[in-house]
Amino acid sequence: MVNLNAVLLVSFLLFSIGIVGVLIRRNALVILMCVELMLNAANLNFIAFARHSGSVSGQAFALLVMGFAAAEVAVGLALVVALYRKRDTVQVDDINLLKG
Amino acid sequence: MSADMTLAHAAATAASQPSSLLWLIPFLPFFGFLINGLSGRKLRNTTVVDFFALGSVGIAFLLTLWHFIQLIGLPADGRSLHQSLWTWFNVGGAHVLGGMSTYKIEWAYKFDVLSGCMALLVSGAGFLIHLFSTGYMAEERNDGRYYRFMAYLNLFVFSMLNLVLGANIMMMFLGWEGVGLCSYLLIGFYFEKEFAAVAGKKAFVTNRIGDFGFMLGFFLIFQVFGSLDYDTLMGSVREVANLPLITLFGHTASPTWWFNLIGCCLFVGAMGKSAQIPLYVWLPDAMAGPTPVSALIHAATMVTSGLYMITRLNFIYVNAPVALAVVLAFGSLTAFVAATMGLAQYDIKKVLAYSTVSQLGFMFMGMGAGAFSAGMFHVFTHAFFKASLFLGSGAVIAACHHEQDMRNMGGLKKLMPITAMSMILATFAIAGIFPFSGFFSKDEILWKVFEGWYQHGHYTGPTLNLVAWILGMLGAFCTAFYMTRLIAMTFYGNYRGGGEDPYGHTVQSEAHGHDDHAAHDDHGAHGHGHAPVHAQENHVHELDQHHDHHVDDPEDHDIVPGHHPHEVSWRMWLPVAVLAGLAVVGGFLNYPESLHRVLPIVPAELFSKWIEPLLYQVAPAHHGEHIPPTIEYGLMAWATLIWAPGAMLLAWWIYKVDPTWSRAIAFVERFPNLFRWVNAKYYVDEFYDAAIIEPLKRFSAQLWSFDTWVVDGMVNGAARVTLIWAELMHWVDEYLIDGSVDLVEYMVQESSAVFRGLQTGRVQHYAFVMFLGFLVFAFWKFIA
Repeated sequence: MVNLNAVLLVSFLLFSIGIVGVLIRRNALVILMCVELMLNAANLNFIAFARHSGSVSGQAFALLVMGFAAAEVAVGLALVVALYRKRDTVQVDDINLLKG
Repeated sequence: MSADMTLAHAAATAASQPSSLLWLIPFLPFFGFLINGLSGRKLRNTTVVDFFALGSVGIAFLLTLWHFIQLIGLPADGRSLHQSLWTWFNVGGAHVLGGMSTYKIEWAYKFDVLSGCMALLVSGAGFLIHLFSTGYMAEERNDGRYYRFMAYLNLFVFSMLNLVLGANIMMMFLGWEGVGLCSYLLIGFYFEKEFAAVAGKKAFVTNRIGDFGFMLGFFLIFQVFGSLDYDTLMGSVREVANLPLITLFGHTASPTWWFNLIGCCLFVGAMGKSAQIPLYVWLPDAMAGPTPVSALIHAATMVTSGLYMITRLNFIYVNAPVALAVVLAFGSLTAFVAATMGLAQYDIKKVLAYSTVSQLGFMFMGMGAGAFSAGMFHVFTHAFFKASLFLGSGAVIAACHHEQDMRNMGGLKKLMPITAMSMILATFAIAGIFPFSGFFSKDEILWKVFEGWYQHGHYTGPTLNLVAWILGMLGAFCTAFYMTRLIAMTFYGNYRGGGEDPYGHTVQSEAHGHDDHAAHDDHGAHGHGHAPVHAQENHVHELDQHHDHHVDDPEDHDIVPGHHPHEVSWRMWLPVAVLAGLAVVGGFLNYPESLHRVLPIVPAELFSKWIEPLLYQVAPAHHGEHIPPTIEYGLMAWATLIWAPGAMLLAWWIYKVDPTWSRAIAFVERFPNLFRWVNAKYYVDEFYDAAIIEPLKRFSAQLWSFDTWVVDGMVNGAARVTLIWAELMHWVDEYLIDGSVDLVEYMVQESSAVFRGLQTGRVQHYAFVMFLGFLVFAFWKFIA
């Protein structure tokens, strides 16, 4: 039986990697993948706590999140493709139309 | 007033016959003008131009003749044909003496005893002059100006016919201005030459001065009579003359006073058109035009319009003794002064020009003495002989290759006999030798003037008549002299233009080309003003100059040694001969009563009787036996046997018998100043220049500077004020208005800078802020 804390630590690291990736990477595809990392960190938390508390609802949540994530990636990739077609780039640095 | 008083003119008014073809007489030449003027430029063949120009005037002449024959067939007091075409304009509502005018000016023609004669003269002489022009203007056929000349001539004939045939003063005025325009156009025909353009302008401006007087005159007539129709005026003049007082423009005076004023104003107009002192100056300069123009303007037509006007309005003048005296005074002065100017001219056209001025003076003398028919008769005889002389001189000039200086002519009688004979006959006529026409007309005038003083042996007439008669006699002497001089210098002796000049009379010609360079009076003192003595002194030198000149200027062929002029073509000599023939026999149309008694075979005073219905009768017509006084025969014999032949023989003796002209030269040497004055026409042009034109020019220069500095200054000043104001407004707009708007904008921009910095547009910045927000939220929850 793996220690709950160890799992939470992994989950934390995973989430941190995700958030740092979102904030510092420039490629929109990579940012999308980092968002997936953050979601999976959250899933890991759900499953860990479900195992720890003996309830299955947490696992059900994890399945739900996976479904959401799939939908989200589909939408996100579509956006990236549209963006690439429009601007010939997927570097978020170059996309600053909202600059004041 | 007695019942048997004949108001012949009133009867004529009543008995006027309508005629439907009258309008064609003036309008045919007008159509000719339109056709030639509008299409002549495109016509390659100038024969077509000839066809329309001569055809229209020729048919007009035949129509005039036809009407004239109709007129002869009518009873004496009903000799009048009229045609009213349309109402020209309505002057109803104008305030005239005796209330409101209801008068409508008609475009109407009237063919009566006077206008009929004048129309015959204008169209007849006009046709001959057209015919002459076809020969004289032959050079112009090639350079595209020919149609223009013919169109102008047609327009001239139209205007002149309109002047004489018009049934009211307005129609006369239309023609009056029309001939003024045409003389301007014709004199300035060679407008590329400056002197011709200047001469045209001079004629036009001088005539305008006269026209102003004429206009004032007929405005006054309209004010007094309320009408401009000759018939109405004649019918009502007696009534007006019997009014006690006439008040116009706040001035009250007797009708005679007003008639005098009208007469004087109208005479100013006549002075301009008929070239009387002081407005005669344009006429000698009119020599700048082609010679047919000179003949047309001088002899036949334009200059007679003043006389026609006075005869037409004789009912005014008969009631205006002062105006008549003015006419007599100016007429006699002109007759004498212009004749003396003719004595010292060398240009053949100039001699004739001054001669014309002088003869016109004679006509006015006759009118001034109240002898309208005598003055009018001189118009006709003068038209014959002067047109003949002018066209003859044109033929001479053309034959001598546009040489106009008589000193370079001579001996032409052998070379062009028809022209020479015609001109010699015309000279006899103008000199007043019995039985040529000039004798009958001129002596009638002089007799009437003398009679005005003589008063059937009472010697009670005004002294003015005696003075005028003396001036007239002197003028007649000068006339006979200068005309014989012209003939002797031109037709006798050797042809000096051919280099055959043993006495050195030739001079370097300034009068070259179709025209008269000496029209510019600047030349007066040193150009033609060469005394013969100078010509002789310089003659070798000048002959050399001729050769140089000839080499320099290929167009200059006036002196070609060995070249002789020859007779001109029939188109040119025929009109000269026809007119000379008329000049010979024309006088018998007004054969004087006194000679009728001696030679009863010739009917007496045809012309006077013919024109009598038109003349206003002050007193009952005198039908009793009129025994001419012996003195009339005496004066006649004196004039035609001693006076005129004496002058002719004197000129003959000086210029023909002695081919060296030594007496003339001696005379000039003896009185150099006298010669210079006469040759320079008494410096009248210079006087006008100094006394009128120069002050006018200075005055207009002052007006110009007033205009430049004051009027323009005000305008420019207003512009400058506006400009400065606009500058100010511009500044206000730019700095105050735009400034405040810009300031608001600037402030908004500046104040938004800090917020603008937040909006980097980078999605990761936003995500980072959002993440920080989560952290803060989580931290706050953790603490709470």
